Amino acid sequence: MFIFRKAIWLLLILLLILPGCWSRKELNELAVVAALGVDTHKSGFLVTAQVINSSEIGKQRSSVGATPVVTYQAVGITIPDALQRVLSQAPRQLYLSHLRVLVLGEALARSGISDVLDYVSRSPDLRTDFFMLVAQHSKARDVLNVLTSFEPIPANSLFSSILVSHKNWAATGMVTLQQYITELERAGSNPILSGVRVIGSQAVGYSSSNLKKINPDAQLQHAGIAVFKKDKLVGWLEESKSKTVNYILNEVSTTIGYVPCPGSENEVVGIEIFNSDTKMDVKLDQRGIPQFTAYIHVEANLNAVQCAIDLSKSKNIDYIQNQLKEKLEVVIGNNIRDVQTKYGADIFGFGEVLHREYPKVWAKYRNNWDTHFKTMSVQIKAFVAVRHIGSIIQPVRREIHQR
Amino acid sequence: MTQFTIGEGVEHVPADLEAFTNHLHGALSDSPDIVYRSIVIGGNKGVIVYIEGLADPRLVLESIHDESPLWSESTGSTAVEDNYTRLQEHAISEGKVEEAHLLGLVISALLSGNTIIYLEGMSSALLVGTENLKQRAVQEASSQSVVRGPREGFTESLRDNTSLVRRRIQNPKLRLQEHTMGEESRTKVAIMFMEGKVDPDVLLELNKRLKHISLESILESNYIEEMIQDQRYSPFPTVYNTERPDIIAAALLDGRIAIFVEGTPFVLVVPALFLHFFQSSEDYYQRGDFASLVRFLRYICFAIALLTPSFYIAITTFHQEMIPANLLMSLIGQREGIPFPAFIEALLMEVTFEILREAGIRLPKSIGQSVSIVGTLVIGQAAVEAGLISAAMVIVVSITAIANFALPTFNMGISVRMLRFVLMAITASFGLFGMSIALIMLALHLCNLQSMGIPYMTSFAPFRWSDQKDALLRLSRPVMNKYFGRSGKKDY
Repeated sequence: MFIFRKAIWLLLILLLILPGCWSRKELNELAVVAALGVDTHKSGFLVTAQVINSSEIGKQRSSVGATPVVTYQAVGITIPDALQRVLSQAPRQLYLSHLRVLVLGEALARSGISDVLDYVSRSPDLRTDFFMLVAQHSKARDVLNVLTSFEPIPANSLFSSILVSHKNWAATGMVTLQQYITELERAGSNPILSGVRVIGSQAVGYSSSNLKKINPDAQLQHAGIAVFKKDKLVGWLEESKSKTVNYILNEVSTTIGYVPCPGSENEVVGIEIFNSDTKMDVKLDQRGIPQFTAYIHVEANLNAVQCAIDLSKSKNIDYIQNQLKEKLEVVIGNNIRDVQTKYGADIFGFGEVLHREYPKVWAKYRNNWDTHFKTMSVQIKAFVAVRHIGSIIQPVRREIHQR
Repeated sequence: MTQFTIGEGVEHVPADLEAFTNHLHGALSDSPDIVYRSIVIGGNKGVIVYIEGLADPRLVLESIHDESPLWSESTGSTAVEDNYTRLQEHAISEGKVEEAHLLGLVISALLSGNTIIYLEGMSSALLVGTENLKQRAVQEASSQSVVRGPREGFTESLRDNTSLVRRRIQNPKLRLQEHTMGEESRTKVAIMFMEGKVDPDVLLELNKRLKHISLESILESNYIEEMIQDQRYSPFPTVYNTERPDIIAAALLDGRIAIFVEGTPFVLVVPALFLHFFQSSEDYYQRGDFASLVRFLRYICFAIALLTPSFYIAITTFHQEMIPANLLMSLIGQREGIPFPAFIEALLMEVTFEILREAGIRLPKSIGQSVSIVGTLVIGQAAVEAGLISAAMVIVVSITAIANFALPTFNMGISVRMLRFVLMAITASFGLFGMSIALIMLALHLCNLQSMGIPYMTSFAPFRWSDQKDALLRLSRPVMNKYFGRSGKKDY
């Protein structure tokens, strides 16, 4: 018994030493990939990895002024094949778990991204909470080769600018891998992705001299929403349509708009929408055809009054409210019809609403929902409340005119 | 009471003066501090023996000096028996006068500070309680200081210590039992408890264990602690110690048992449960809400002190995906160029800190401060600047060390310090997986541990609702009274 016990202890101690800390990797043995770009290539994929140059990050005193990130490119039949080839250039093991953004080239997006999705969701190293972007009219490689101000790591810059613009501008899509796949797999909806493009001169974007100017030569800009039909990019939505998508998906938290002033079409009142809530509903008409209605409840503030209306009169406020209501209903309605006719892709999730409300009716449509979607009628009902008019009451224009 | 086993233990006191002194000389040799003073009382020869510095025979000598000339006149008797009885019954103006027939008893009484009066012709001697040790006065307890609460601390004198407790509990049910232990040192050991509140099983168990102690000497209460603890190989203490009489009083009122040892201000308490080591006496001297918060903080500190370095090692070497991205970037930047693996880095810093801490205790107080400043600031900062240690590791080690000091009992802090290194080694090999296994084993061990037969985790496992008033939290007294009854007694 005593010897047995001793043997157990010996084994336990050996267990501490012998496995040699397998799967141990020190922080300074890692090349953290912040962004991954995938483009088509004649022999498979062209993969661009934006790797953090850790000797430049996190130090108060920057040493030689090297760029904070390094990009490596390699071609492979599959993405992991290409990634492995990156090791011929990189001195460290690529570490993908902290990927912030995955950028897809437009050419790749148009030809279908299912192979990319298979890799990123199959690999246990990758989390599913990174954002996916499409490089508008360019290759993913070009987007990843631009240095950014504020955030030394461009991937972080992209990541945080998506968060900020989605919250305050509402014309970008904040789509993670998880959400993309959910939308893709659901029969009654099609996915969207946010777009990004390089503005300015790409040729200087990759050098740190880009950051030494007050107005950098090359910058990254969000470029509306990319419409997907299944896994293929079919087109781009400009700002107004992108906002529409976010209104219907109930993703708007704050955005800015304007409506015309009473009595004059050229003068406008600026509106800040600070709260928006959308509910979608579907009813069947006499013939059993689904009729969709989106109820949009909006709370707004006035933030710029560029005419001489009397804001102390409640009828004027009511007028602005009505204008905003009409504008929302008309613009959103038109935009939805445009998407219906042009792309025939249900990126708004109307099919899903039908599926939940009338599963039996849905069964008739599900096999070719995209074609049916083109013919569906969508009503928009907006409810607008103007809450605050800001720190002053009367417009400055009015004050000056009265004097 | 332990029986003496020295040579003359069973011999009787001889009736012959010379034989008596020879016996003493033989037993004690010719120590210069043993004083033999010959006297003549009522015509009878005798001797007074005491040890200088240990006994204060002034009163004895004065009373004999004052009275002896008058003796023959008042009683007229020169019979040795009369004088002996007279001495024993009223001539000595000292409280405690006893009679001893055995030489062994005489010698041990002499060694503990009694003055021996011997008259020739009697086969017994008088032992006068003249113990007067030079003692430290009652001072502020240095090991567990409080902002609010009594400042007194125990001293090295057992009698002073028991009196400090008696003054706090003026209750006839307070019991004190004294033993003499240690074959060579013959140290007085006393146990104190409240009759009626104490668990009789625990008392029985303690007495059984005390009886089985066989030690040559007992110079500090830890000698006893090591002998009576339930499990020799546990990192956790199962005997509580304190130098604060108010803590002892509270423990006695809770039905626990205190063990006093002559010569040390540290008094033991059994049974000692896990949660006792997180209680500070100040918890009871501050408002309940604040005390609860602070006590909760201590449990957090326990976790921090135990786990921070190993957790840091685990997530930076095995589970980088758990670190938030921005934190990871910052950590990576700091670790750039560090030549050691995280485990070695942590070990270096922890060992350095332990060295500084040990050195700080040994060094004189004035130098100790500067050493700790040199150690923390200079070595810490220099190591970071030299690129040997990452700045994050310095923070980890510092917070660990500070959290360790926030534990109110020193011996629980020691357990945490030992376990920290074990956990670090395990996580360096197995990551968070190993850490979880180690923590599960630790929990099993804690639940398995006992103190005097009482489960160590009592109040939590076995869970006792009635104890919750004063376990994780310390409820305010009106709430305690309302929901848990007025009695202060806890199950433990």
